[in-house]
Amino acid sequence: MKTPVIEVKDLSVRRGNEMVIKDATFTISRGDYVGIVGPNGGGKTSLLLTLLGIIPLERGTIRLFGKDISSFSQWERIAYVSQDATNFDVNFPLTVRELVSLGRIRRNLIGRKLRKDDWNAVDETLRFMGIENIAHRRIGELSGGQKQRVFVAKALVRNPDIIFLDEPVTGVDAETQEKFYKKLSDLNITRGTTIMIVSHDLAAVFCRMSKVMCVNREVHMADITEELEPDEILKKVYGEHFHFVFHRHQCSGVFEHE
Amino acid sequence: MNELSLFDLPRLFSYQFFQHALLGGTIAALVCAWVGLFLILRKEAMIGDGIAHTAFGGIALGLLLGINPLLSALAVSILAVLGISYMRKKEMAQSDAAIAVMLALGFSAGLIIISLAGGFNVELFSYLFGSILTIDRSDLLIVAVLGISTALFLGMFYKEILSITFDEEASRLMGLPVTTLSLAFNVLVALTIVLSIKVIGMILVVAILVLPGLAALQLKLSFKRTVCAAMGFGVFSMVTGISLSAIYDVAASGIIVFTAAGVFLFAAAYRRLG
Repeated sequence: MKTPVIEVKDLSVRRGNEMVIKDATFTISRGDYVGIVGPNGGGKTSLLLTLLGIIPLERGTIRLFGKDISSFSQWERIAYVSQDATNFDVNFPLTVRELVSLGRIRRNLIGRKLRKDDWNAVDETLRFMGIENIAHRRIGELSGGQKQRVFVAKALVRNPDIIFLDEPVTGVDAETQEKFYKKLSDLNITRGTTIMIVSHDLAAVFCRMSKVMCVNREVHMADITEELEPDEILKKVYGEHFHFVFHRHQCSGVFEHE
Repeated sequence: MNELSLFDLPRLFSYQFFQHALLGGTIAALVCAWVGLFLILRKEAMIGDGIAHTAFGGIALGLLLGINPLLSALAVSILAVLGISYMRKKEMAQSDAAIAVMLALGFSAGLIIISLAGGFNVELFSYLFGSILTIDRSDLLIVAVLGISTALFLGMFYKEILSITFDEEASRLMGLPVTTLSLAFNVLVALTIVLSIKVIGMILVVAILVLPGLAALQLKLSFKRTVCAAMGFGVFSMVTGISLSAIYDVAASGIIVFTAAGVFLFAAAYRRLG
C-alpha cells in the first residue's frame, strides 16, 4: 500500500461569508498524479491554499506526512506554483538561473549563502526541465511555455515531495501544453514526486494522471482506470447537463508525438 | 579654489578634505545604488524622498540639542519608517498617503524647532543641500559605520529581499517572513538616506538613490550585473561631481545629480539605439 502524504477528513473552508469547501474527505498517496477539475469559483485554489496552511480551515482535519497541519513544519517538502506566477514585470532584471536559485532559499535558514551544492541543484533542475539552454536569458524575454517551465523549475529545485500547480498551462498553445504535461509525467515517474494540478484540460487529466479530483464546494475523487466513466464523476460537479465525450484510445492520438 | 583647473586634480588627492570627501562619497554612492535599485524594483522610490524630508525634523532637533544631527536624523527616520509600516498594516493609509503624512510631520516638526531656536543659518543649509567637501572625521565615521552595516545586511539577505521584491505572495508561500524583511529593508533605506545627507543633502538624496539603478536597468543585464552597473554609475557620478565641485567651486550635490542624470540619459539612448 502506498504511503499517504495528505489525509483530509471532513474539511470545510470558509472565505468571508461563503463556505467554499464543504465536508471534503480524501487521501493523496506518495506518487499520485492528481488532476483537479471543476468550474471556476468552485474552490480549487482555496483547497490548495488550505492544504498549504495559507487559508485556515473552518472544520475537519488535514494531516501532511502524518502530522496535523497545525504542528507541521516541513514546508520545504511542498512546493506551489500559483496561477499568477508568470504575470511579472518583464523588465525585472533576473536571468532564468538567478530566478530558479531563489527557490533554494529556506524559510528556517534565511541569510544562508548559496553554496556549490545549491548551484549544482539549480543546474540539474534546469537540465531536467530542458531549459539549460536559456539559463542566462532574462525571464522577461521568454515565451509562455518557457516561463512555465522556469517557474516549475523554481519550485522543483527544492526537491519537494509534493508539488501543487494552479492552472499552469493557461494561455499557451496545445503543443506546448502537451510537452509540459509530458515533463510532469517524467517528474512523477522518475522522481516519484506527488503532483496535484488544477487544470481545465480534461483530456490531459484523463490521459496523463492517476487520479481525478472534482471540486465544486464538494470534493469527489476517483482513480483513473479503464473502468472509470469520466462523464459520471464530472456530472457531480459540472451538473447533469454536462457531457464529456471521451474514449481512452484518444490518449494515444493526443500524445502520439512522444 | 576657483582658480584651479582639471590639471590640478592629482594635487587635490593629497588634501585630506578631498580624501574624506571621496571616501564618504564613494561609500554613500555604493550603498545608495544597491538600496536604490531595490527601491525602484519594489516601486517604492518615493519612500526615499519621504524619509529624506522627514529626516529634516531630526536634523533640526540635533542642532537644537547640540548632538550630531546625523544621529538624531537617524532616530527620526527610523521612527518614520515604523510609522509608515504601522499605518499600512493597520490600513490607516495606503503606502503613498502614509509616506506623505510622515513627510509632512517630519518637515513641519523641523520648521517648528527652527523657529523656536531662532534659525540655524548655514549649518542647516549644509544638511539640506549637502556639504561633501566639509565632511569631518566624525561625520565620516558615521557614514562608514552606517554604510558597512547596510552593505553587510544586504550582502547577507539580498536573496530574500530579491525574492520578496520579485513576488511577495510566492515568498510568503515559501515561508519567508515577508513583513519583517520589508520592515528591515525600509530601516536600511533610512540608514542609507542618513549616511547620504551630508554628502548630497536631504533634498537631492532621492536622485542618487534612483538614477544609478535606473541607468543600470536600461542595459538589460542579469540581476548581479545590474547591481554592479548601478554601483559603477553611482561611484562615477559621485567622483566626477566631487572633483568638478572642488575644481570649479560649485555645489557638489548639483553636479553629482547632473552627472547621474547624464549617465541615465546616455544609458537610455544606448538601449534605444544599441
